[in-house]
Amino acid sequence: MHLAVSLDIASVTGRAGLTLAEIAGFVRKVEAAAVDMVAISDSWPSGKPSTSPFEATTLIAALATVTEKIGLVASASTLMHQPYNLARRFASLDIISHGRVGWNATMRQNPREAVNFSRPEGFSDADFRRRAQEYIGIVQGLWRGWDADALLFDKAGGRFHDPGKMHMLDHKGEFFSVRGPLNIARSPQDTPVLVMSGLVEAEFDFAARFADVILLGDGSPANVKAACDDLKPRAIAAGREPKALRVLATILPGPQLTADRLDDWFETEPCDGLNFTLPADLSALDDFADRILPNLRRRDLARPARTGATLRGNLGLGTGGER
Amino acid sequence: MSARQMKLGLFLWATGHHIAAWRHPDAHVTAGIDIDHYIALARTAEAGKFDMVFCEDAAGLREANVNIASQTSRSIGFEPISLLSALAARTERIGLVSTASTSYNEPYGLARTFASLDNLSGGRAGWNLVTSASPIEAANFGATGLRPHADRYARAREFATVITGLWNRRAAGHDGESFSVRDPLDIPPSPQGAPVMVQAGASDDGKDLAARTADVVFSAAQTFEEAKAFYDDLKARLAAYGRQPDDVKIMPGVAPIVAATKAEAQAKYDALQELIPDDVGVALLSSYLSISDLGRYQIDGPLPELPESEGMKSRQALVIEQARRDGLSIRELARYFAGARGHWRVVGTAAQIADELQARFEGGAADGFNVMPSWFPGELDAFATMVVPELQRRGLFRKDYEGRTLREHLGLKRSV
Repeated sequence: MHLAVSLDIASVTGRAGLTLAEIAGFVRKVEAAAVDMVAISDSWPSGKPSTSPFEATTLIAALATVTEKIGLVASASTLMHQPYNLARRFASLDIISHGRVGWNATMRQNPREAVNFSRPEGFSDADFRRRAQEYIGIVQGLWRGWDADALLFDKAGGRFHDPGKMHMLDHKGEFFSVRGPLNIARSPQDTPVLVMSGLVEAEFDFAARFADVILLGDGSPANVKAACDDLKPRAIAAGREPKALRVLATILPGPQLTADRLDDWFETEPCDGLNFTLPADLSALDDFADRILPNLRRRDLARPARTGATLRGNLGLGTGGER
Repeated sequence: MSARQMKLGLFLWATGHHIAAWRHPDAHVTAGIDIDHYIALARTAEAGKFDMVFCEDAAGLREANVNIASQTSRSIGFEPISLLSALAARTERIGLVSTASTSYNEPYGLARTFASLDNLSGGRAGWNLVTSASPIEAANFGATGLRPHADRYARAREFATVITGLWNRRAAGHDGESFSVRDPLDIPPSPQGAPVMVQAGASDDGKDLAARTADVVFSAAQTFEEAKAFYDDLKARLAAYGRQPDDVKIMPGVAPIVAATKAEAQAKYDALQELIPDDVGVALLSSYLSISDLGRYQIDGPLPELPESEGMKSRQALVIEQARRDGLSIRELARYFAGARGHWRVVGTAAQIADELQARFEGGAADGFNVMPSWFPGELDAFATMVVPELQRRGLFRKDYEGRTLREHLGLKRSV
């Protein structure tokens, strides 16, 4: 079972957001309990204004320098960033963290975004979806613009890199035109991990083909199993290995999450792992760290050792490879 | 006693500002993608009580010719907001200034990002506004190509108005030529209110925008007279916007090479110059002049007559003036220019360099300097351990930080 924690730092209006020290302290506790990744989001999908003092990608940059093993995933909107800038941000974060970063690409349009990003008319759901799919393809393409062995560092010969191992993207699509390449080297884990969440069925084929991790909504083990059994064959049909896609069930760890209920999840293993979603509330984080984490840590003794220091390694994804 | 002290910025750049820095025998060749390297540099600068570290930026390759590019280290490096956010967690006092483009961002997004950096760092963030003059960058953001200079600055002016309105919590709602924004910023006020605003454009449009909005201006000036002329010009523009001369700190770039003796410093410089391949120097010069290829002219001949470009108008004038003044060939100009990229080069002992800085500072040509070490970490270490103590002895630079925020370091008012 793979384990993730999703932390929504968009705390409710009227309450102070968590500090960097509080977030870092929590992430280090979670890291010590061998959780594979923590996924940070900084805005309410409902469109309520966030009062978090931090934006997610900048926050995980800071967290990368005070953690060592845990994967760090940030949500970032396809409306708030140009694809070149976002690809470059995550490629940079991935090298800063030595290969521990992922991008959570939501397919849901946040009503606050278009109106604040000079798109007052917004997008229809279908347009938004096509645009997001084109966007994700560009980002993944840019992440592969430099071969892993492109950098030569040959001081005497005056050859810094091999120009034959740097590739233009030359993308011209319905919504975007991007020449590339990125001005940053290949990721230590091949490419940052692509996480997708908030999916509806119309997006399953796309997600099964391109995502590395899918976070399902919360549901019973039986519902989760059904969704996972739906997604995995789509990934295989797209020519991927089953283990190239990890599907995680989402759990809300309140007082109602008892040890028995946790046992159910671990015993039935309806999918590849569990994602615990937490609000930006110190008491909720403490409850999780004090009550749930020791339970997870005990179970972790039975888990196979991690295969690598990168997030792909944590998740057993292998490298992304060429598609 | 002199209460006025100079400001110092450390201009970070991978292996160093000299184009051939990466080939220096002691240069850390993977520096551009090594976070530990940058953490060490930032901590050296912080121990030296620098006001800030600064990252320049381009959202794309810096050189279109792939063979030329492959002989430099400049095609690869961290995106600066990622880098500075990481440094925020590993430094305590030093300011963190990142470049970001008004052409390829939206004000609401950058307002969030820099407010976040300001919160992460406890009030040490700054934004260097650029309009991005490179057609290589433009091709990563659509099919329409580089927009004309005037259009880019019109967008930049609107961008600056919107982003400062968001940071300063002025009434929300903007519907303009380039941008529309409905809501107030959804990140609580950061320690500085608004991050420090930096600019470096030296065209007429650039200087006017700086006079209206900037807290700090970086400039490039070879001679005292150029530096003084720029300084006086910019300060004179402030009154039109209801601002005082002290509201903007002007910090020209300086590329120092320091050693125990002048001869030793000169030898260090000569050794670096020897590492520049001719085609790389000429290509770099071509790029800064925004013309396609100087390589078709005689390398030992003079600089040809050049049309005014849509790219960096002010920088072009600076380089051309330099060549004409010194009667330089293309090769000589290319080498000279490649060494410091058009900035002011000083080679000498700590006392000699301090003399030069003091003369410009006290002569009313600078409020401080943006220090551009030729290679890292060597020339930064030399500057921090030799020149900084000399400036401190003379009472020209702080011995310790007094404030917490970048605004406090710079002696700027909190934004309102």
